[in-house]
Amino acid sequence: MSEATVIKPDLQFVNEIIKGGGESLKKCYQCATCSVVCNVTPEGNPFPRKEMVLAQWGQKDKLIASADVWLCHQCSDCTAYCPRGAKPGEVLNAIRKQSIKEVAMVPFFAKIATDPKWIWLLFAIPMVLFYMIMPYKSIDAVPLNNEGKMAYHFFMPVFPHIDVTFMLTALFAAVSAFVGITRLWSGMKKNAAGAQGTGSPFSHIVPAFTQIFAHKKFTDCNVSKLRKWGHLLLFYAFAGLFVVTVWAVGYLYGHEFFHIPAFGPFHFGEAPYPNSDPVKWLALASSVAFAAGALIILLNRLGNAAKAGMGSYFDWVFLTIVIGVGATGMGSWALRLAEMKIGYIVYYFHLVLVWSLFAYAPYSKFAHVFYRTTAMVFARYTGREVKAPNAGSVTEAGVQPAAQ
Amino acid sequence: MAENKVLVVGGGFSGLTAAVEAAETGSDVIIVEKNPYLGGRVTQLNKYFWKMCPPNCGLETQYKRIKNNGQVTIMTMAEVEKITGSEGNFEVTIKTQPRFVNEKCTGCNKCAEACPEERSNDFDFGMSKTKAAYLPHNQAFPLQYVIDGKACKGSSCAKCAAACAYGAIDLNMKPETKTVKVGAVVMATGWNPYDATKMDNLSFGKVKNVITNMMMERIAAPNGPTAGKIVRPSDGKEVKNIAFVQCAGSRDENHLAHCSYICCLASLKQASYVREMYPDSKVKIFYIDIRTPGLYENRFYAKIKEDQNVSFLKGKVAKIEQGENGDVKVTAEDIHGGGKITETFEMVVLATGMQPTAQSLAGAGVKVTEDGFVDQATLPKGIYATGTLKTPVDVARSAQDATGVVMKSIQSLRRK
Repeated sequence: MSEATVIKPDLQFVNEIIKGGGESLKKCYQCATCSVVCNVTPEGNPFPRKEMVLAQWGQKDKLIASADVWLCHQCSDCTAYCPRGAKPGEVLNAIRKQSIKEVAMVPFFAKIATDPKWIWLLFAIPMVLFYMIMPYKSIDAVPLNNEGKMAYHFFMPVFPHIDVTFMLTALFAAVSAFVGITRLWSGMKKNAAGAQGTGSPFSHIVPAFTQIFAHKKFTDCNVSKLRKWGHLLLFYAFAGLFVVTVWAVGYLYGHEFFHIPAFGPFHFGEAPYPNSDPVKWLALASSVAFAAGALIILLNRLGNAAKAGMGSYFDWVFLTIVIGVGATGMGSWALRLAEMKIGYIVYYFHLVLVWSLFAYAPYSKFAHVFYRTTAMVFARYTGREVKAPNAGSVTEAGVQPAAQ
Repeated sequence: MAENKVLVVGGGFSGLTAAVEAAETGSDVIIVEKNPYLGGRVTQLNKYFWKMCPPNCGLETQYKRIKNNGQVTIMTMAEVEKITGSEGNFEVTIKTQPRFVNEKCTGCNKCAEACPEERSNDFDFGMSKTKAAYLPHNQAFPLQYVIDGKACKGSSCAKCAAACAYGAIDLNMKPETKTVKVGAVVMATGWNPYDATKMDNLSFGKVKNVITNMMMERIAAPNGPTAGKIVRPSDGKEVKNIAFVQCAGSRDENHLAHCSYICCLASLKQASYVREMYPDSKVKIFYIDIRTPGLYENRFYAKIKEDQNVSFLKGKVAKIEQGENGDVKVTAEDIHGGGKITETFEMVVLATGMQPTAQSLAGAGVKVTEDGFVDQATLPKGIYATGTLKTPVDVARSAQDATGVVMKSIQSLRRK
């Protein structure tokens, strides 16, 4: 032994992973089945086998800002084939949770979004917030519109109540995400010391987005085939609902500030929009995709639990919010059409859940939208996405070992 | 008064050892064996530890001791149906399948020559065929032909019966059930090779030239399907670039959670078969850990490691695909820094493990452990288990264990 490397394990980090859904971590005996069955890992220095040993040894710095940890899409192929039930997919998910906490702009928010102890506060914040700003504290006090029908903008005015609240929330989320992405990027850069970047990092954003829009990575998953469709539907539902939001803002302020009148099927300045308005169609289509996607994800999780693991609090709280947003959204719409006043309460919870979705986005599982994308861009930038950049090459004489 | 008789269930190395050791103390012994021959898994091997001699070098001795002793009754093609009673006085129901050949058989092979039907040879794991009238293998004991009731057309054909000069063939034999009284029972039903088709990612049965370690023993054995020449099944090509996949189903919660103990040594041994046969051959062993506990075992490992043409790669094979021209593509992660590699071999041997047979003992209070071995604490008094029913062991340890268990069984006959 000439020079020994002294490993300094961060035991608290190990415990956090174990408690945060990676309780099977210590079962791993490093057989590397996982790295072989994984179809989304690069071939040189593949994951998740190395992450398992790094996590067992408490190598926090190497894991909390690691592109590989985020390149994992949790197909759970590794978990299904793991001979020890060590569930690498679940462990990497738990590591990602630590990663989110580590780069968080407001650590307190990360804490309440990831720790079951704080679930009450997670929902109490928006519940109190919306209760405080709503003009009528009794559903019977909410006035009806000119036609004598229910309209949610009487219950909660669009301006300033909803728009100001959500603008500020979106701003907070955007700044949080920006800070998180910056921290993750510099951490990944430090960990990948020596890796050469190709071109500008920004030049890799569009190809990464193309890949994400096509859900290409999910296609390579074997165990959870259905999950691709669930995620795809949810993904496009979110995209659709984003367009709906922008569209609605256009109707409101386009009329308000630019005096655009309602024409054809486009109901500028009106609310609620009749079912004949195209924005309504998009909203409905997105809602259906949303419900179907969430349902598929839910069923896939339950149906695959034996093979892929049950997931942790972190996954379930996010899935609950997502499903809740869909259910209360569709519910309040249906109840309004049925003129049932309980719809106001459902709508109130819809606002609470939508707010939770946005405000906690960079702190909850939703943060994968930002961080996985960042990691995918980083991987392209450093050539990590390319197949077998430094894997051993196979020749007739046998395998030439990879250059270290 | 207790019966002075021991029933041994299973005629493999454990059962044979138990039987002769018990008989040589003066007790009567019945061996009940499912196959038409004795010797169990050992008879299928090319060579075995520790002397690296062919199976007969140990089995011959046991058979000779049985013959000389005269107190051992052998029932082949037989299985125990029911055991009642208690220590000293068990009543055992045994069902025997028809052999269609009686003890007048001299092993002249005339029946097989006359037989028009063929069957897949399970002794060679389907890699060869025999006639429906056949001798299980050329060292079979008892040396007595057998007719496969499924492949044989019965009395409508009867060409074998016409060809037999000794009146040894009786195509009208029926299954028989018999009751015997014994004082103690030694269970020695052994193990089966784990079903390699269950590991879907290892592609056994789907990719050509992926075989199991037990098939490799048959291929290397002089009385095997290739008369001992190591060639691959698909095209008979000499195998000069071969991979061994360790822990194929063993140490795996999805298959056999236990370490099967013998597979590392078996692959090292089989590596030596290939290296001795083809001096220019290359062998690669993919492993998680090489497990060769014991002085002799470690020395054997060290000896194989000295060979420059045998290489070891740490990383479990988790993907096997069909390559070109019958070659096999194997993917593993080289844990020592080589990344994920895919390499091509002419043949791949899966080091499959031991599937215990203890499940057949379950019930009536007898429990089986999570790994499928018998929970000895739950065995009724007077019934004992030996060998691989309890834990994966090699031949030598089976013999040692059986000898020890015989002591307990004799105590059951003479307990005061």
